[in-house]
Amino acid sequence: MTSTIVQEERATRLGMRASAALGEQLADLPAVAKLRAEGAALAAALSWPDGRRERPWKYLDVTKYDLEGLTPAIGAVTRDLVEVRRSCPVTGEQAALVVAQNSEIAIVEVSEAVGLSVAAFEGATGTAAATIAKHLGSRVAPERNRFTALHYAFLRGGVLVEVAANTDVRLPVRIVRGFVSPDQFAAPHTLIVTGANSRVTVIEDFHSSDGELTVVPAIEIVPGPGAEVRYVAIHHWGEKTRVFLEQRTVTERDSAIIAAHIVAGGAVVKGHLESSLQGRGSSSELFSAAIGTDRQHSDFYTVQDHVAPDTRSDLLFKAALSGKSKAVYYGLTRVGLGAKNADANQVNRTLLLSREAKADSDPVLEILTSDVRRVSHGAAAGPVDQEQLYYLQTRAIPLKEAQALLVRAFLGQVIGRIPGEAVQDELTDVIEERMARLR
Amino acid sequence: MNKTPLLEINGLHASIANKEILRGLTLTIYPGEVHAIMGPNGSGKSTLANVLMGNPNYVVTAGGAKLLGQSLLELKPDERARLGLFLAFQYPVAIPGVTLVNFLRQAVSAKQGRDVPIREFRQLLDQQMNLLKVDRDFARRYVNDGFSGGEKKRAEMLQMAMLQPRMAVLDETDSGLDIDALRTVAEGVNTLMNPEMGLLLITHYQRLLNYVRPQFVHVLVGGRIVKSGGPELAEELEANGYDAYEAAAAATA
Ligand SMILES: Nc1ncnc2c1ncn2[C@@H]1O[C@H](COP(=O)(O)OP(=O)(O)OP(=O)(O)O)[C@@H](O)[C@H]1O
Ligand SMILES: [Mg+2]
Repeated sequence: MTSTIVQEERATRLGMRASAALGEQLADLPAVAKLRAEGAALAAALSWPDGRRERPWKYLDVTKYDLEGLTPAIGAVTRDLVEVRRSCPVTGEQAALVVAQNSEIAIVEVSEAVGLSVAAFEGATGTAAATIAKHLGSRVAPERNRFTALHYAFLRGGVLVEVAANTDVRLPVRIVRGFVSPDQFAAPHTLIVTGANSRVTVIEDFHSSDGELTVVPAIEIVPGPGAEVRYVAIHHWGEKTRVFLEQRTVTERDSAIIAAHIVAGGAVVKGHLESSLQGRGSSSELFSAAIGTDRQHSDFYTVQDHVAPDTRSDLLFKAALSGKSKAVYYGLTRVGLGAKNADANQVNRTLLLSREAKADSDPVLEILTSDVRRVSHGAAAGPVDQEQLYYLQTRAIPLKEAQALLVRAFLGQVIGRIPGEAVQDELTDVIEERMARLR
Repeated sequence: MNKTPLLEINGLHASIANKEILRGLTLTIYPGEVHAIMGPNGSGKSTLANVLMGNPNYVVTAGGAKLLGQSLLELKPDERARLGLFLAFQYPVAIPGVTLVNFLRQAVSAKQGRDVPIREFRQLLDQQMNLLKVDRDFARRYVNDGFSGGEKKRAEMLQMAMLQPRMAVLDETDSGLDIDALRTVAEGVNTLMNPEMGLLLITHYQRLLNYVRPQFVHVLVGGRIVKSGGPELAEELEANGYDAYEAAAAATA
C-alpha cells in the first residue's frame, strides 16, 4: 500500500501538474506555454528510449537511471550575483554575456548591441517575444523522444540570440550555465536566429556541481540565407551529471553551421546533433573533442542530411579515453535524391589510453543519388602510435610527457578546425586542464 | 686525448621478431672521434642504431653498451637521450598535430632538465636554423608531416643541433640530400662536432665522408664488424663493393 503511494508520488515529479506549475511560476509567453503543455502530455505518453529498438540509444540503457525520481528545477533559487559570477568562470571578451544558475538567468549583458539582441525567454517582449513565438520548437520537436518532451515540459532559462541581417558580430556571445542543485532535472534552451548574410559565434559553457543532476539542453539554430552560425558547447560538467542534449539546424540557401562539442566532464554526455541541409549551397561542419576518464560515457549521434543540391558536410569527432571510459559514435550522412553535387566527409577517431577504455564507432553513409562530388567516411580506434612515442622519447621527452604531447596533438587537430583564434586558445586550455586527469 | 671511452659496445647480440640481427658487435669510440660504418642493405646498421637508442622492438640477448661509462641497456630511450645519446633516424616518423617548434621546446627542456625560457629557446633555435640554412616557417610545420626526404634529414640535424648530444649516430643522413643540402648539413655537423663529442656515421656513400672526415671506417656484414680501417677503407668499398666481405662472412657464419 505504502509503496504504491510512493510510486505515484515519484511518477508525478516530472508529471503534467509539475510542468503546469512551472509554467505559471515563470509566467510563460503563450508560445512557451503551448509547447510546455504539449511536452508534458507527450512525456506522460512516451516511454524512455529503448536501446534494443532505437539505434542511437544502443549503447546507453537509460532505464538504469532513476530518472523518474528527479525533481524539476522549480521554485525560486536564492542567488547572490557575486557568488554566481564566482561559480561561473567567464573568460575572454564577448559581445554579450548570459549567466544562468540552475536555469535561472541571473545576468544578461550586451556590449556589442548593433544588430545583436540577447534575451531571456522569461519576460521577453516585443520582437524577441515574436521571434520566440515563431521559431521555438521548430527545429527540435517535442515529440522526438521522451527527453525532448520533458525538455519542453520543464523548459527554463531559455535564451534567444538574435542577429540582424548583414551583421557580423565580431566577438562571441557567451552563455555560461551553472547547475548546482542535486537530484534535479534541468532543461535549458538556446535559440539562435540569424538574419541573411550575418555571422555570429555562440559559446555555451556548461558547468555543474558534483551532485547527481540530469540536464537536458536543446539548441535550435536558425541561420538566415548566406548566414554563418558557429556554436561551441563546452561540457564542463560535474562528475555525476548526466546530459541528454539535442542540437538541430535547418539551413537556408548558402547558410553555414559550424558546431563543436568539447567534452571535459560529466558522467554521461549524450548528444544528438542534426543538420538538415535544405538550402542550396549550404554547409554543416560538426566537430567534437572528448577526454574520457574514469567511467565517463560520451555518446554522439549525428545526422547530416543533404537535401538540396551543392551542399557540403564535414565531421570530425575525436575522443581520448582513459580508465574505463567509453565513447560511442553513431553518425549518419544521408545524401538525398535531390542533393546533386554533394560533398560529404565524416571521420571518427578514438585514442584508447587504457586497456579498459572502449570505443564504439559506426559512421554510416546513405547515398541515394549517383551525382555526388565526393563522399567519404572513416573510423579508427587504437592506442597511441608506438613509433611516434619512441621518436619523442629519443628526443629526451619522458614517456608520460610524450603520451600527453600526442593526445594534445590528436585533439588539437579538432580544435584547429574551429574558426577563431581566441576560441581555439580557450578550447586548448579546456583540453589542457582536463588532460591533467589522464595522468 | 681523453682515455675514457665515450661509447663502448661489447659483443652485442640483438634480435627483432626472434630473428638475430646483431651477432657479436664490438666497437669503441673515444671523445673527439668520428667513425663511419658501411655495410650492405640489411646488414644491421639501423638495428645497431636503434638498439643503442633503446627501441623497444629489439631484444638484446648478449653483450653490452656503455655511454660515458654508464650501461645503456637498462635505460629508457629518453634517459639515454638525456645522458647525451642522439640518433638521427634513417626514416623519421611524422607526427601530425605536433609543431616542430613545440616539440623542440619540450625536447630541449627535457634534455637540459629545466624549463628553458622562451627567449633563450628562440635564440638557440634561430642560431641553429641559420647554421643549417633551414627556412623560417619550417618550425611551424608539423614534425616530419609532408616533409620531403631532404627536409626530414635537415629536421633531424636541427634536432641534433638543438639537443647538443655527446654522442651522435647519424643513420644515412646523407641519403635523400641534394649536393648543396649535403654540403650545408656536413658543415653544420662539423660546426657542432667538438673534442668532447663522438660521431658515428652510417652511410653507403663516400661523398658524405669527403665533407665529414672519419678517422675510422668499419665494415658491417651479417651483424658483425668484419673489417676496420682508416678513411681509405671507404674508398676501397666504394670501388669494390661488399662482395668479398659477404663471401667471407658467409663462410664463417
Ligand atoms: N620488424 C622486423 N621483423 C623482422 N625482421 C626485421 C624487422 N625489422 C628489420 N628486420 C630485418 O633486420 C635486418 C637488418 O635491418 P637493418 O634495418 O638494421 O638493416 P640496414 O643495415 O640498416 O639496411 P639498409 O642499408 O637498407 O638501411 C634486415 O634483414 C631486416 O629485414
Ligand atoms: Mg638502415
